[in-house]
Amino acid sequence: MAAVPTDSGSRPAAGARFFCTAGRGLEPFLMREVRARLAATQVEYISGKVFFTTCSDLNMLKKLKSAERLFLLIKKQFPLNVSSVSKGKILSEIQRLINDDPESWLNAISTWKSLLELDAKKDKLFQRAANPPKRKVEENDIINAKKLKTEQLQELQESGECPLEKQTEEETQEQGDFFTEREKSQEAFQNDVVKAADAKNQSNLTFRVSCRCSGAIAKTFTAQEVGRITGIALMKQFGWKADLRNPNLEIFIHLNDIYSVVGIPVFRVPLASRAYIKTAGLRSTIAWALASLAEIQAGAFVLDPMCGLGTILLEAAKEWPDVYYVGADVSDSQLLGAYDNLKAAGLKNKIELLQVSVIDLPLPSESVDVIISDIPFGKKFKLGEDIKSILQEMERVLHVGGAIVLLLSEEHHRRLKDGEQSSIPLNSEGSHTGEPSIKKCLKPGGKTGTSEAVSSSFEASSQECLDKTPPFGSLVPVECHKVSLGRTDAFICKYRKLHSLGL
Amino acid sequence: MKLLTHNLLSSHVRGVGPRGFPLRLQATEVRINPVEFNPEFVARMIPKVEWAALLEAADTVRTLPHARARPEWGGGRGRSHRRPGSLARVGMPRGDLGLCPQLHLVEVPKEPIEGYEHDEKFLRKMHHVLLEVDVLEGTLQCPESGRLFPISRGIPNMLLSDEETET
Repeated sequence: MAAVPTDSGSRPAAGARFFCTAGRGLEPFLMREVRARLAATQVEYISGKVFFTTCSDLNMLKKLKSAERLFLLIKKQFPLNVSSVSKGKILSEIQRLINDDPESWLNAISTWKSLLELDAKKDKLFQRAANPPKRKVEENDIINAKKLKTEQLQELQESGECPLEKQTEEETQEQGDFFTEREKSQEAFQNDVVKAADAKNQSNLTFRVSCRCSGAIAKTFTAQEVGRITGIALMKQFGWKADLRNPNLEIFIHLNDIYSVVGIPVFRVPLASRAYIKTAGLRSTIAWALASLAEIQAGAFVLDPMCGLGTILLEAAKEWPDVYYVGADVSDSQLLGAYDNLKAAGLKNKIELLQVSVIDLPLPSESVDVIISDIPFGKKFKLGEDIKSILQEMERVLHVGGAIVLLLSEEHHRRLKDGEQSSIPLNSEGSHTGEPSIKKCLKPGGKTGTSEAVSSSFEASSQECLDKTPPFGSLVPVECHKVSLGRTDAFICKYRKLHSLGL
Repeated sequence: MKLLTHNLLSSHVRGVGPRGFPLRLQATEVRINPVEFNPEFVARMIPKVEWAALLEAADTVRTLPHARARPEWGGGRGRSHRRPGSLARVGMPRGDLGLCPQLHLVEVPKEPIEGYEHDEKFLRKMHHVLLEVDVLEGTLQCPESGRLFPISRGIPNMLLSDEETET
């Protein structure tokens, strides 16, 4: 971490500092994505959040697929000291978030403004170049509709901590690594501060605070109280005006036992709610993550034999367009839903639909390059032992060297694992972050409690598997990630077919 | 269902095995669906194609007397040279095909030609045949067992009954 001088909302020449919220378990996917898509540097994560620095503009940032929401970072620091019983002391701790380091606030605001200005300029240019008035209107409508939803969501968040978040925090270890002395950073930003202070209209800003509290602080203050305290402090410090309904600026504060994070939401609509998906089956971020593991090459034949509403294929086809996609399902209603979804997304031409059973695929052996699927589970679907026959049929139709990426319930995962040797590394990823100091292995699945080997990269883990006995036939597990689906957990598992079945 | 998809499907009725390919196509409604031409993509599809099966399928679509082609006017991206018109017959004699530019390409090259990756004319033909011909209604028949699978709204239903899946 010594190489990372600071983590306040600074704007070094290298770009601006952001963070994204992510579903639990998707952090490694998001880290890889920001590096690949945004050429992000100083990428680090804590459970549920990924921090990074990038020069990308809003258009590029908007393309992130594995994140929930995107924020411009104002500051990230140690948790507030709430050991004291005195409410007043904690209150002053909260106020210090604003008063202690006003430069980081001003810096972030000016970065935020320049991002928006740049975007507005580009928009104008674009409008002048191509003039699509009809589409514009439609887009606005969609955004307005979404806005409503987002606001409702935010209210939910404000009204208290969500249970998911709580779990997340319990798992997080290592805290101090992210934070460095503030003194150093302040010196470094003196120049920027002057610029930011000069920025006009600062005092005309209207704002609102949305706050999330969990852990010890939540016992003393509600999220609303913290919101009010910080709101008042901001008005005093910067002269901004509060506006709960339609502010220029939203301030997001997340306080818990592990960290205090303050940021500005960059988009009103969460990145995870896709404009092109009419009815989402699976969560879009998970669907994208599944597809991202599948090494989809141009010209490949990609099959989702239990496609449901087609969410995985939609996400895949948006990202990797030059591919032949086939979605199959047994259910009329699901296929109808998928059909509507494909049409709405304008991808009817890219994705073919079939009504077939996953255990009786009407395809020749070794004809498919990639299989991706969300294996249904829960009360509605009692697959039980069928999971093995599903895998067998997938194995049959897959090319040698082809990949299968599945979303498995804990039960399915356990059943499949029974066939594996216990020594096969089942890593929930962590060290490919490249920053050893923040290496933190999410607990691997299974109730064994033994910490299994963490390989140094996706590829390395696949190599280790090579000489192990496959769980079934020619399929060999390559990697596995535990992810949260909200109430339940599931596993993203990747297998590769090593040899022909006849051998 | 695109002809590319037909080319990959194989009957999975028990005991049929490799003799389940290719499925016999009967089309009653066909739509010509403009798809953006992507030469690299088409070139990558060529090696996957079972040529004899494709020739047969394209022939069925072209010669079925009652099959109808329904071009998608206005919709989609390929708003090219096409003008709205009534439903066109697929099985018309060759001389009339000039009136129906969206259909005459159903002619499939007899085999992949040398250096097809760079032959735009060839790739365009294949693009049309594999990706733009969309069978909306019809049937697929297992060549071995004779089992019929319906195609409706462009989606083949290849579910087998319990008896058919028993070993």
